[in-house]
Amino acid sequence: MTQPHEVEILLVEDNPSDAELTLRALKQRNLANQVFVCHDGAEALEFFFGDGSHALREIGVVPKVILLDLKLPKVDGLEVLRRLKEEARTKSIPVVVLTSSREEPDIARAYRLGANSYIVKPVDFEAFARAVSDVGLYWLLLNHPPR
Amino acid sequence: MTRRRWNWSIERKLPLLFSVLLLAVVLVMLGAAYGQVRTSALSFASERVKRSTKEWVNASVRSTAQQRSQVATLVADPGVRDFVASGGKRGRDWALAAMRRIAPDNTPNVAMEVWDDGGHRLLLRGDSAFASEPAPLPASDSGVVSPYRVQRDTLILSDMQAVVRRGPEGAVIGRVVVVRRLNVSAQARQTLTGISGGDMSLLIGNADGGVWTDLEKVIPAPPAAARAEHDSALAIPYVRGDAKIGAAARIPGTPIMFISELPRRTVLAPTQVYLRRMSLIAAVIVLVGAFGAWWVSRGITDPLNHLTTAAAAIASGDLARRVDVPGHDELGRLGNSFNTMAGEVQRARSDLEGQVVERTRALSETNAELEAFSYSVSHDLRAPLRAIHGFARILLEDHGAGMDGEAKRVLGVIDENTRRMGQLIDDLLAFSRLGRKEIETARVDMAELVRGVVDEIRRHAGDRPLEITVGALPPARGDRNMLRQAVTNLLDNAAKFTRKRTPGRIEVGSQANGAEAVYYVKDNGAGFDPRYASKLFGVFQRLHRAEEFEGTGVGLAIVQRVVQRHGGRVWAEGKLDGGATFYFTLPGVSNA
Repeated sequence: MTQPHEVEILLVEDNPSDAELTLRALKQRNLANQVFVCHDGAEALEFFFGDGSHALREIGVVPKVILLDLKLPKVDGLEVLRRLKEEARTKSIPVVVLTSSREEPDIARAYRLGANSYIVKPVDFEAFARAVSDVGLYWLLLNHPPR
Repeated sequence: MTRRRWNWSIERKLPLLFSVLLLAVVLVMLGAAYGQVRTSALSFASERVKRSTKEWVNASVRSTAQQRSQVATLVADPGVRDFVASGGKRGRDWALAAMRRIAPDNTPNVAMEVWDDGGHRLLLRGDSAFASEPAPLPASDSGVVSPYRVQRDTLILSDMQAVVRRGPEGAVIGRVVVVRRLNVSAQARQTLTGISGGDMSLLIGNADGGVWTDLEKVIPAPPAAARAEHDSALAIPYVRGDAKIGAAARIPGTPIMFISELPRRTVLAPTQVYLRRMSLIAAVIVLVGAFGAWWVSRGITDPLNHLTTAAAAIASGDLARRVDVPGHDELGRLGNSFNTMAGEVQRARSDLEGQVVERTRALSETNAELEAFSYSVSHDLRAPLRAIHGFARILLEDHGAGMDGEAKRVLGVIDENTRRMGQLIDDLLAFSRLGRKEIETARVDMAELVRGVVDEIRRHAGDRPLEITVGALPPARGDRNMLRQAVTNLLDNAAKFTRKRTPGRIEVGSQANGAEAVYYVKDNGAGFDPRYASKLFGVFQRLHRAEEFEGTGVGLAIVQRVVQRHGGRVWAEGKLDGGATFYFTLPGVSNA
């Protein structure tokens, strides 16, 4: 498993099947090497704002993109998004919401909170794989984050 | 000409009406009473003048008879006869003695004369100033009264004369004249006026006009109307100087006439006083009546005004407003009923508000539950499906090489069904969202909307031969996004079911049906069995097998829900393999 200090993609996903399918899609494009997976919202917050007692805490590591599911145990995705966009240190990290919900209120709230993109996970695997790999390629290879 | 409408309040109308009625009644009564009083006054005055005249005539009849007998005595006297027969040569003293027996010497205002038949005065005894003129012989022995005459301006005389004969029944040889002067003066007039009551005038004169006096001086003869003798109850009115009423009567056997008269003004003066007094009383009655009516109408309109104000206050939302109408009359009861009603309204309103709050709460709970449900469906139902589909694909990709054909076919079935399940979930969520979504009404240019959808359909159709014609489409009022969804579904269907036609024909148009516009989408596709037309719009209802035409059976249900939420109707006509036409109505721009 990828160590926190090498993280390029942070995947916040509680569903192991979805996580595996996502990783597989990224792997097909050779983008899966530096992916770190958080299994709920609390873990994601711990990753960025923890007190260090947790193994996840790694100040200074800035992923190139965060793939964030919305429906998460403990702390939901929108709350994670709000906290990330509030904090100056994490504000500029691109957050791509990757969720099953195509409900209008979710989309609106996500963008209001500062999401950089909103992708509805297709049920169809080919479509899903294409979407995930496109997102990975775009944010890792095409996009220039601030340094 | 415009007709004016009186918009006066009852508070003004009622007293006005009452006052007018009261005034009319009082005026009629006043008029009747005044007429009666006037008639009485005239009747009473007539009675007075008639009685007065009659008394004067009676008195004169007596004195005339006396004078007649005196003249007759003189005429029959032998001394007088002898004196006349001798032509005044003898018997003068005897004649004078006879005269003295009738009137002593120096009796004022009386003169006696003896004339012969030749027109010569033989003897004059008394004041020569009013001696008579030569005159033809009278026919009668017993005395004839001549009309009044004026002599030397101021004197008014009447004379009575009779013929003298030579012995009884002999030839006429002369005449005897007794002249009496009427003593006229202001004093005489006053004396007479005093006798008859102060206000009445007595006139004496000749019945056929000529000389008349009011006992003070000579006056012009009263008009003929005044001199007419009649028997009517009321005295005849006439003008002599001013308006008068009077009664005339002639002394029988003479040309002399009496008139007693009263000025109409004097007669009617008491009635004028009566009229003024009664008018004053009437005015007071009308004023008091008007005030009373105003007071009574205030008693009615004040509570009504209270009620009106209170009703307006309640209508504008002050449901706690009540009225205070004291008393147990109709208005008091109305006030009580009003208060009861207002209480009922208030209670019903608060009940209703409570119910609305309760229902709204229940509704939003239900909505929230539905929201949570569809969120959950949207999120949680897809994830396992994605896993099934994903891992089935992985199996095929990673281990497909070692699989036989049957294993691959089974994986294909899994693949196909998960896809369909995903589509079903999406459609179901769309359908459910449609029921909860608020309609945002605006004017929608249906022609432009349909053009956009048609373009999209053409893009999807690729190079398949598809002829789409769009007719004139009136604008509608509704939610643009929802209407676009409905039109898209209808055209999608039409495109789908014409897939086996070459070319596929789709026609979009409208027809007027009274006030509403009916839009339709017509195709030459597979159509449907009219027996199952009622099932067309049900959720998950399909009339074709999935191998023939794919679909979840939600599209037309969505169309129906959109149209119904806009207050329109939707229906379809068609037959198996004979094409189908879908109609729907929408509220027009003008009447929405």
